[in-house]
Amino acid sequence: MRMDAMEAAINALKLVVIFGMMIQAVPLLVWLERRGSAFIQHRFGPNRVGPLGLLQLLADAVKFINKEEFVPGKGHRLLFFLAPILAMMPGALAVLAIPFSTPIEIAAFDFAGSTWGPYLLKVQGADIPLGIIYIFGVSSLATYPLLLAGWGSSNKFSLMGALRASAQMISYELAMGLAVVGVMIIYGTFYLNEMIDMQQGPMNFMFMGKEVIFPYLPNWGIFYQPLGFLLFLVCSYAEANRLPFDLPEAEGELVAGYHTEYGGFKMLMFFIGEYGHMIVSSSVVIIFYFGGYLIPFLSTEDLRQLLTGFVGEGAMLSLATSLVYLLSFIIKLVIFLWVFIWVRWSLPRFRYDQLMDLGWKTMLPWGLLNTFVTMLLVYLAHG
Amino acid sequence: MTSTVLFYLLQFLILASALGVVLIPNPIYCALMLAVSMIGISALFFSLEAYFVAGVQLIVYAGAVMVLFVMVIMLFNLKNEVVAFSKGLLSKVLKVSLSVLIFALIASSLSMSFADLNSSQLQPYESAMRSVKELSALLFTKYIFAFEAISILLILVVVGAVSLARAKGGTHASDK
Amino acid sequence: MPLTSSLTEISLNHYLILSAALFCIGMFGVIMRKNAIVILMSIELMLNGVNVSFVAFSRYQNTMDGYVIVFFVMAIAAAEAAVGLALAVAIFKRFREINISSFEHLKG
Repeated sequence: MRMDAMEAAINALKLVVIFGMMIQAVPLLVWLERRGSAFIQHRFGPNRVGPLGLLQLLADAVKFINKEEFVPGKGHRLLFFLAPILAMMPGALAVLAIPFSTPIEIAAFDFAGSTWGPYLLKVQGADIPLGIIYIFGVSSLATYPLLLAGWGSSNKFSLMGALRASAQMISYELAMGLAVVGVMIIYGTFYLNEMIDMQQGPMNFMFMGKEVIFPYLPNWGIFYQPLGFLLFLVCSYAEANRLPFDLPEAEGELVAGYHTEYGGFKMLMFFIGEYGHMIVSSSVVIIFYFGGYLIPFLSTEDLRQLLTGFVGEGAMLSLATSLVYLLSFIIKLVIFLWVFIWVRWSLPRFRYDQLMDLGWKTMLPWGLLNTFVTMLLVYLAHG
Repeated sequence: MTSTVLFYLLQFLILASALGVVLIPNPIYCALMLAVSMIGISALFFSLEAYFVAGVQLIVYAGAVMVLFVMVIMLFNLKNEVVAFSKGLLSKVLKVSLSVLIFALIASSLSMSFADLNSSQLQPYESAMRSVKELSALLFTKYIFAFEAISILLILVVVGAVSLARAKGGTHASDK
Repeated sequence: MPLTSSLTEISLNHYLILSAALFCIGMFGVIMRKNAIVILMSIELMLNGVNVSFVAFSRYQNTMDGYVIVFFVMAIAAAEAAVGLALAVAIFKRFREINISSFEHLKG
């Protein structure tokens, strides 16, 4: 399967567009977070600059760029500057493996004197084999920027914050891995696309040799893995260092953690990393437990038939299908990002020993239990 | 063509960061260099189509073991070392030449032994998922004894590490 | 979905020599450095070199056994790092440094 020049160009462009999408989502999320928190706390929030306060983002960007470039005197300069750059990488790399929609089929066509195609363009940065393993491998590197920021600042509060944050991330990665094991046993694959395909149609499964169908429920992972979903969601909050697990950056109580010494644009880069992590974990939750880009009670064939009336057959049909699915994915994504924000402004913060107890003494045993029960049920279903 | 370029780039990255591990006097930079080298090796596994092993390499080595190293070094607050290397010119020369000699020995014997195994015999895998399934089947049938032995070893190591590193009288007591 | 082979021009020897180079660099670190933690890291480097050759052999001979061994090597490397770092912590508490010559004072 050799790529020709046009396909290579389109793929390269796709990488840039997906990276840009992730970066551009961050200011919108910041705005959503500020307006959302204001809504929850019965305040106004930023509403002066532009319609609904949307131009506040632009003003913030100008402010970030114009801030003083501050470097702590005794800090390690190299590590201090390296940390915010590395903080953006795990999110940006992991987003590449996420399938946003169905592929677009383009039949062969003539252009500039030669025939091109046929092409199958995936709405996905790259179809990486064993996508879920890749996403976990890349996001396990997210600990380094925190440690480097804490060390590079040469500030004991920063260092303590960094050690707190990395211990928290390593602890919760374990329970998260166990939650994912349940998902892998259910689907029997590591490919995100195959997982989504399996969630088509109404809920149906084989049990003790009989086929069971629930026509009023979609065939989503959450109905097979409710406990796994809960564990995964809680762990993804802890991994993203969000409330109720935001001890690394508890401003008033513990000094701001690893980014105490950071300001201006470097701080913004840490924010991009954090929101990138939120986007990736929300997407993974959607793919594992909520059918990915699929629309409940509407199979792909039905959707294609519905759309044929508007756009006809061929490339336009696959493009329209892909766009509808992309819209469905984005709606689900926004809902989950809103849940992230909602939880942040509703729940109080854990104490550090409570957090560690929750991770090691509650989440881990429940994760093991989930794995065993899933194994047993899958064995019974196939046996 | 591109794959050859990619291979030599990766090889350069891995070897340069590996040299960084042994030559940089500051332990924190050593640990970071080792992390870079692990990531490079993971990419090499990826190019060898061993996707699962590559992912595990990232998660276990770069994501857990190296973070442990970095955390311990930061906890000790180790500075640039005055005596990073062993002393004595003669011993240094001997050690360098010993390492180079062993490398030359291994490399020459390898290139004589496995010259017939080249890429023409290489068969592409049917699918990555299939090879993962084969791998797990092998792990739980042919290598089941080794697997169990490793699990016992890990439990022993957990207990041993905790009892070694624990401060007397609970986790929050001072070590005085 | 058949995978496209990305390693058409590189022979097994390339990987094996890379593996040997990693092993020897690691060995050089073990005999050269004085810091116990850096010595542990050099041992990790040696183990990684061995892993590279296992994976390469496994790939070029179309078996899965090499990958299984790689998992065992990784488990043992993690165990070794845990115990080694625990020992380093104990030494650091006693002598306030982790020079390898501090171990000379250990007597039974």
